[in-house]
Amino acid sequence: MSNKESEKLRIGKEEELKVVGMHCATCSSTVSKSIKGVKGVKDANVNLASGIAKVEVENARLKDIVNAIRKAGYDVVTQKVSFKVDINPEDARKLEEKIEDIKGVIKASVNPTNGVILVEFNPYSITSDELAEEIYRKTGHKVTKVKSEVANKSEVHEMLKRLIIAWVFTIPTLYFQYSGLPLVALFTSIPVQFYAGLRYHLGAYRAFKNRTTNMDTLVSLSTNIAWFYSLYAVIVHQQTFFDVASLLVSFILIGKTLEAYLKERISVQITSLRNLKARLEDGRVINAEELKVGDKIIVKGGEVIPADGIVDEGKGEVNESIVTGESMPVKKGKGDAVIGGSTLISGYLKVYVTRTGERTYISQVVEAVNQAQTARLPIQNLVDKVSSVFTPVIIGVSALVFTVWKFLLGFSTEDALLFSVATLASACPCPFGLATPLAVLTSVNRLAKKGIIVRNGESLEILKKADTFIFDKTGTITEGKISVRGEGDKTAISYASAIEKMSNHPIAKAISSIPSSLEVKDFTEFPGSGVYGKVDGHDVIVGKRDFVLQNCEGDGKGDVLVCVDGKVTAWFYLEDKVRDDSVKVIDALKKMGKRIIIATGDNSENAEKVGKELEVDVIKGLSADEKAELVKNEVKKGRIVAFIGDGINDAIAIKEANVGIAISSGTDIAKYAGDIIIPKIGDLLTLLEYSRLTVRKIKENLAWAFGYNSILVPIAAGLLYPAIYLPPEYAALAMSMDSVAVSLWSLVKV
Amino acid sequence: MMIDPVCGMEVNEDSQYKTMYKGKVYYFCSPHCMKAFQKDPEKYLREGPKGMPNE
Repeated sequence: MSNKESEKLRIGKEEELKVVGMHCATCSSTVSKSIKGVKGVKDANVNLASGIAKVEVENARLKDIVNAIRKAGYDVVTQKVSFKVDINPEDARKLEEKIEDIKGVIKASVNPTNGVILVEFNPYSITSDELAEEIYRKTGHKVTKVKSEVANKSEVHEMLKRLIIAWVFTIPTLYFQYSGLPLVALFTSIPVQFYAGLRYHLGAYRAFKNRTTNMDTLVSLSTNIAWFYSLYAVIVHQQTFFDVASLLVSFILIGKTLEAYLKERISVQITSLRNLKARLEDGRVINAEELKVGDKIIVKGGEVIPADGIVDEGKGEVNESIVTGESMPVKKGKGDAVIGGSTLISGYLKVYVTRTGERTYISQVVEAVNQAQTARLPIQNLVDKVSSVFTPVIIGVSALVFTVWKFLLGFSTEDALLFSVATLASACPCPFGLATPLAVLTSVNRLAKKGIIVRNGESLEILKKADTFIFDKTGTITEGKISVRGEGDKTAISYASAIEKMSNHPIAKAISSIPSSLEVKDFTEFPGSGVYGKVDGHDVIVGKRDFVLQNCEGDGKGDVLVCVDGKVTAWFYLEDKVRDDSVKVIDALKKMGKRIIIATGDNSENAEKVGKELEVDVIKGLSADEKAELVKNEVKKGRIVAFIGDGINDAIAIKEANVGIAISSGTDIAKYAGDIIIPKIGDLLTLLEYSRLTVRKIKENLAWAFGYNSILVPIAAGLLYPAIYLPPEYAALAMSMDSVAVSLWSLVKV
Repeated sequence: MMIDPVCGMEVNEDSQYKTMYKGKVYYFCSPHCMKAFQKDPEKYLREGPKGMPNE
């Protein structure tokens, strides 16, 4: 095994995984086969009864094994835990890799903007506490467990404390330095150098331990060179630079505190129910988190509704923009559903609580958005490569600068040292690490406010490249309110209506609206095909043309046939109106030159009618699996496919697409497989616009980072000396403003 | 108890995998068996169960 291969080894010799969804011998053999298909797996033993898969490996990643099982249509029991860690943005990728090396870890994603690590692991081989210990042992980073909160405020406070200490001691240091009292300056500079600057020295040490370099290395190196050289200079009575060392730390802290504040502002934008209060029916006020299903709460005008529920009493106007993106208030009265996080603008409501805590819609949104924020966009790979060589290159340049000024140009050691320290202090790899996540973070947050939930941040970048858009028809392109027109034997039609009352299918609902009060026995439903039952002593089958003709004699027009005692005697035509939004979306996509396909399970003439109306290709009569197959084939052909469907029956196709977009009413977010969830089809255009803007923003942020460094470093090195001279302390200030610039730019709306 | 016409296993009538063919309901132990049957029902009705389908 080569070194590179052994690096990829994410799993010990044996790992036990709990597989879910197996219910027969075929299933366990399918799972076993899929595991063995992963490169590096030696053997796999799947127990149907216990659901445990014992996997013996030589060299394979746990992530690949879990993915293989999931691809085969089953799932694996995993646990997710969030940790908070103090890291530099450019170290995020390295930390992810190190964590993924720990036994039992499936996936780790680090959000460089708020220092939250989300780790998915196998609870059968490691616990979250053991994981925290392992992370500390392997990387030197102390992590603390957090629940799904966005970020904590302590970073800004911590930075502020150090910043104040830094300036309190830097000012006297400056005074003593210029008053010719270097020994006193030495003492006043100690708290700045070793307390205020401690986080940089520790960071540099950790980086050194992990055999890498980062921004802390540059800061620590530059301040330590200036400080320790000054210590030596005090002893040998030469010129000292305690002021330079202290100012370096103090100026960097200004920028970094500002950056921490901005990052936090970007992160904490989504409303959370965490700090809300709820007023119970009996007048008691409790935290929203303590609410239980079945509680009745009182909400008054102007208040935020603290949990999901049903209105029990009262009337009011609710702003549901958090779910739908629409700011128009919606009238609510007895029996209407309300969603936690929305605001009661006027009126009074007594609400029966149906979902609380982490099960509420808004909590799920916050969770989803948190996950999206840790996304790793493909563009980040390039950025990682740049930042991994950036710091060593700068250290080399700094040494070169010293050599050139001292030995080639004949300047004094002190002057050469100042140029060299300025070079170190002016360069900053931080914004490279921040550019992508900050852009994603702002977009994900802004979209969430419009009711568009991005669950997978990467999809924002992929969507921009999508060339094929496949739409589900019913409920997505059309209104999904099917109306039917029956023809043929009237008695058969009333039998059909009676039988369809038992089914939840949208077509069944339309047929069952025809009045009929007959009794049904032996009802059986064949999902995706039709239904069977005994009505009035007759065998009745209602369903898709193919399904009915397979079981009955005769022929019929229409889309749904009715068979009574083995003969087709009636039929229905289906009609479903195209949404106004769909026309707009399809037109816009056509203008962009995208390929559009409508894939539908509907086999009726109506499907063709919709296709003709929109002038789009329609592939009809597809089952859920066939839709997924269609998507898969397009992806195999090298196309970048976005599938847009309304969730449940499109789930597999949504999962197979490069970008899966689910349309939902908002409340059932958890069960959707989509990378992105939009409230209605019209929002697809907003989403596409944001996808374009996000990628543009990333590029602009990177341009800031590159531009800033490539201008600042040569100036600090003294290229324009003596016309322009940048002392180390100003170089440090300018450097720390680089990240501030990137953060601010991410906040600017384009 | 019913017999899965594809693999020959015993299945309950409440199995979620079922299909109707020529007016008769058939029950299966898994989606794999159901798919195999739907592809060629006559083969299984004529020749009897064949064991687990190899996918």
